[in-house]
Amino acid sequence: MNRHVSLLVLLALCLASPAQAQDPKLKACFIYVGPVGDIGWSYAHDEARKLTEKALPWLETKYVEAVPEGQALPVIDRLVTKEGCKVVLTTSFGFMDQTLEAAKKYPQVVFAHASGFKRAPNMATYMADFYQLYYLNGLMAGALTKTGKVGYVAAFPIPELKRHISAFALGVRAVNPKATVNVKWINAWVSPVKAREAAEALMAEGNDLLAFTEDTATVVQVAGRKKVPSFAHYSPMHRFAPDFVVSGQLVHWEKIYIDFLGKVRDGTYAPGKLQDVDYWWLLREGAVELGGQPGLPLNPKYVEALKKAQMTVGDKQVSVHDRVLELLKDMSSSKPTFDPFTGPLQDRHGVTRVPAGKIMTPQELNQMQWVAPGVVGPVADEPK
Amino acid sequence: MVGAMMEEILQALARALSFGTPLLLASLGVLVNERAGVVNLGVEGMMALGALAAFGVASETEALGLAVCLAMGAGALAALLHGFVTLTLRANTYVSGLALAMLGLGVSGLLGKKYEGAILFEPAPELPFTVAAGVLAVVLWGFLHATRPGLVLRSVGENPAAADVLGVNVLAVRYLAVAFGGAMAGLAGAFLSLAYRPAWTDGMTAGLGWIAVALVIFVGWSPLRAVFGSVFFGLLYYLQFRLQDQSRVPTELFAAMPYLLVIGVLALAGLRRTQGAAPAALGRPYHRGER
Repeated sequence: MNRHVSLLVLLALCLASPAQAQDPKLKACFIYVGPVGDIGWSYAHDEARKLTEKALPWLETKYVEAVPEGQALPVIDRLVTKEGCKVVLTTSFGFMDQTLEAAKKYPQVVFAHASGFKRAPNMATYMADFYQLYYLNGLMAGALTKTGKVGYVAAFPIPELKRHISAFALGVRAVNPKATVNVKWINAWVSPVKAREAAEALMAEGNDLLAFTEDTATVVQVAGRKKVPSFAHYSPMHRFAPDFVVSGQLVHWEKIYIDFLGKVRDGTYAPGKLQDVDYWWLLREGAVELGGQPGLPLNPKYVEALKKAQMTVGDKQVSVHDRVLELLKDMSSSKPTFDPFTGPLQDRHGVTRVPAGKIMTPQELNQMQWVAPGVVGPVADEPK
Repeated sequence: MVGAMMEEILQALARALSFGTPLLLASLGVLVNERAGVVNLGVEGMMALGALAAFGVASETEALGLAVCLAMGAGALAALLHGFVTLTLRANTYVSGLALAMLGLGVSGLLGKKYEGAILFEPAPELPFTVAAGVLAVVLWGFLHATRPGLVLRSVGENPAAADVLGVNVLAVRYLAVAFGGAMAGLAGAFLSLAYRPAWTDGMTAGLGWIAVALVIFVGWSPLRAVFGSVFFGLLYYLQFRLQDQSRVPTELFAAMPYLLVIGVLALAGLRRTQGAAPAALGRPYHRGER
């Protein structure tokens, strides 16, 4: 009798275990606009994908790299119908409309689009933005510049860059109200040759510090060779010029991915519930980090100079070093009290853009066309 | 004030020399193979292959000399492919050149995946390349105008049939010239990835190969004028950034200048109903017994 019971139990266990194993993994598929090795945007997304997969044992991922912006839809078709992807994450602004089209075509699949503004019942948007970091970098630049001229190599005059350049300029001018941020456009995301000549031109014009938004490490390299300090952008570039990278901006897309996919898994973000899901994650959420390499917000080589430099906050004198750390702490807390884009703010032509007491909303930041005072250089689509 | 002005001019000149170096290296190669009557539009592709070969070798072995040699070898090998297709198989030289340009870019991008975004921590100095390019221009000028092999090379480009009658192996001379052109494009690529911007990025040649092709036409196939032409084009490229927001004309125009100037030169030659300074048999395949 006993033996029969134990046999039955064994049988039951045997029947039960396949049922457990059948519990399917969630398959999330990523589409990148660049090659994963580009050390910039797509590289950061892929690093995040790997970290997310490591953090979530029930997750299975796949990625397609170097997808031209017009080719997202056929790739999504293949991922959904052939690969059985239940979640599709498209990681370039240019994929926006095709992702929306796919979301309508496959209502049972969850879509998420990075850096865009169109959503659907089964399509969310997400972004990890750097503007707070650019402000902090600007404070440091304002403290370190001796000529009062800071150079900026910029890719394209789109809202994202205008936001970053403006935040940077606001920081520079908070320390040094007469300093200028001199911008050179290269009209390319990846063009080392243009980035180099633009950086050379900026240094020839007397800019003694360089920042940039484009997808190569050229500026850090060129500046480092001439012993000019610079700020890293997007990936850990500190090692490319260890003595000359002051700080920079780093991204942690995995924070968003882990949160989002967890909620997809538990049903919070089932298809039909995503119309209003928009991640606009900043320092508070840990989606971005200050520094030229993880764990190093300020290059120790510049700490002394930053401690010596004073700035006025309210009616008090504080060192720039302390101000940077204080704001970093504040903006990383659960209830930040400081935002670089707090009114009253004027654009560089003196027109009031943010009234006193108001803070720019993510939507306004996403559509920003004006630039802050102190920015010098041609700016396309600038309201006059 | 005068001091600042001088400094500005010197800086611009330094940039022009730096950017002009790969232009001069590549265009000297183009010049030699065109003087032998062969057109090779694949400079951009050969340059990219050279840049990757140099970067790959330099980052694995840190042997910069070896890196430069292999870059030249890679360029020459790619050029010989073009030579085989156009000289031996007599396929259309323009189509083959364009194909080589695209192939070189594509293959270097594919093979270079491993190095994408990587940088060289011990870069090569720029100056030796610049000096070598200048010296080579003078040497080539002497070679073309004052030596017998130079005369043979030019005769193959001007009148291959006559050269053949005189016992010159036209095909061999053209193969050599094409290989030289490829090696120089590879050397220009090595300069880019070892010295100019010591890193590898897919498509880092950024159209320099095309400017080199245009440059040769602009300077009328003269090695000495190529020196000034490359410095001039280098200066224009730099000024597009230096004068952004400071000039009345949009500075993008400066970047387009090489091409505009070439169209101008060609139009002038056309108006005079001449070929300009182009070698008479340029782009024409030669086969004994055919006219």
